[in-house]
Amino acid sequence: MIRRLLSFSVVVSSLALAAGALAFEPANAASSGRHALVGTFKLQPGACVGTSVTGTYFQMIFPGGTVANGKFFDNPDSTCANKAYTLTVPGLRGGLVTGKYQPNPTPAFNAQGGALADSIVQPQSFTAIDFSIATSQKDPQTGLAVPPPAISVKSGKLSGQVEAWSASWNKLYFNQGSPKPNGSSPGLTAPLSGTYNSKTHAFVITWTSQVVGGPFNGFTGLWHLTGTFSSAK
Amino acid sequence: MTTTSSGHHDTLAGAPTRVWTLVGIAVIGVALAVMPLAFGMFDKTPKGAVMIADFKPYMTTARLSGYQFELREINAGVHETDTSVAAYLGGGTSDRFAFQSEYPTFTSFYQQWPAIDSKMTGLMNQVQANLGNYLAVAALPSFKLFPWFFVLPGVLLAVFAIATLVRPARWRRTRWVLVILGVGLVAAPGIFQMFQRAPDGGRMMTAFESIETTQNVQQIQGYFGSMAVGQGAIRLEIVPALERSGLDAAQISARFPAVASLDANWVHILNDMTPMIGAMSDNVPDYQAIASLPPFPLFPWFFALPGVLVIGLALAGGVTRQRPEPSGESGEHPVAVPVNEGVS
Repeated sequence: MIRRLLSFSVVVSSLALAAGALAFEPANAASSGRHALVGTFKLQPGACVGTSVTGTYFQMIFPGGTVANGKFFDNPDSTCANKAYTLTVPGLRGGLVTGKYQPNPTPAFNAQGGALADSIVQPQSFTAIDFSIATSQKDPQTGLAVPPPAISVKSGKLSGQVEAWSASWNKLYFNQGSPKPNGSSPGLTAPLSGTYNSKTHAFVITWTSQVVGGPFNGFTGLWHLTGTFSSAK
Repeated sequence: MTTTSSGHHDTLAGAPTRVWTLVGIAVIGVALAVMPLAFGMFDKTPKGAVMIADFKPYMTTARLSGYQFELREINAGVHETDTSVAAYLGGGTSDRFAFQSEYPTFTSFYQQWPAIDSKMTGLMNQVQANLGNYLAVAALPSFKLFPWFFVLPGVLLAVFAIATLVRPARWRRTRWVLVILGVGLVAAPGIFQMFQRAPDGGRMMTAFESIETTQNVQQIQGYFGSMAVGQGAIRLEIVPALERSGLDAAQISARFPAVASLDANWVHILNDMTPMIGAMSDNVPDYQAIASLPPFPLFPWFFALPGVLVIGLALAGGVTRQRPEPSGESGEHPVAVPVNEGVS
């Protein structure tokens, strides 16, 4: 009888604690007004209509350039009239998953150096060689441990970090995260920002990340992601 | 500071020359030990080691010749496009204006190409001309070890010299240790062939002075972008135009071999050149760190000269023997007699 009473009291206490914790969590979130968006940022494919560009795309700014005016690296394989835009197509997971990694496959490249990662985006040709994106626990360029992508929203404004965002091309890796894996923000590197419509779940995310090291050292990647967010719950 | 026991004993009493000898050797030792700190070697030489290691995959005759071949391949493809392909697509007319207006991306690249070709070919010539110099430097012991080549003998010299100043009785043995250390310092540059290799390294550093700069690397990055765009125009505009004209791949290859070759090998060219540009870019700070050290040709002398000085001082210090104390009552005192062992 005593054992039953003890067990009952333990269960009741645990439930009470759990309820308290649950009650406390939203209170915290509510107090900051920010909550994490854990799930998949499903990407809208990039598209060019005339001179305007929609959807998800990438640009690369030459060293010494600016986000507003470039100079931008022209990708001859771009399907846009303006070759400065490289359009992306959603990968097998539909886009960027927050709270988890979407690592490179093994091998990460084909014999020609084309990237094979296809979870976030489908590999796209960049100067005749496919490039792609992955997020790994260990950044393949720097070898540093990086957290999984995390994005949150407050009053419709997005913020977060994509330290693990890594481009692969020509058997080379280029960290394109913001901040960089060591927490720095060199050159034109700017934090992730954007908007989120909680009703339609539509999002727009942008950030810039300077390449540190390698053949594109000093170039800056400009990432523009649009689509709809799908919660993991 | 007098040793007083029977038999042959060393003493510094009455031998101020030896004190100065030991002080001199101690100063040389301290100078050697401190030199790496003064020149920032502990920070800079590991960067040199990284640079040498990073360049290694590219610094072979085969690889450098391959780059030259690839540049010639691009050059041939570009010129063939501008001449015979342009004539073919122009219906055999010499109306270059029509071709240029039809393919403005290629035309823009063609106008940039002479400068790009000149720069890239010149760069490769310069690098290839320094292959031997690079190999000479790479054959030296790792740059990471260089500071220790100064610190270790320097500390040993200083410790032995100071210890002997404190306990003069050690002089006889210490003297030969100091001579051996001096010989080691003199011999080290010879053993490592530094008298030949360090000037080679100096020549390489001079040649790379204009290559390993941020400005130069960014110019090459820009050229790389232009080449990608130009090749893209050939691959995505001009070759398809040839195909639309009725030529199949075999016919294009037969009629325009340079264009076909460039098209077929472009990915390989990218595979080859891109990492080299990466290595050049990554090693700009490493090169600059090494370049801020004293000139390479001086390095063997940084070992040899102190070594010669140490040998000379140790030998010149000689050995001062005391005559055995007279057993009689004459009251004579020991007389210090300098003996320059090893000199004569």
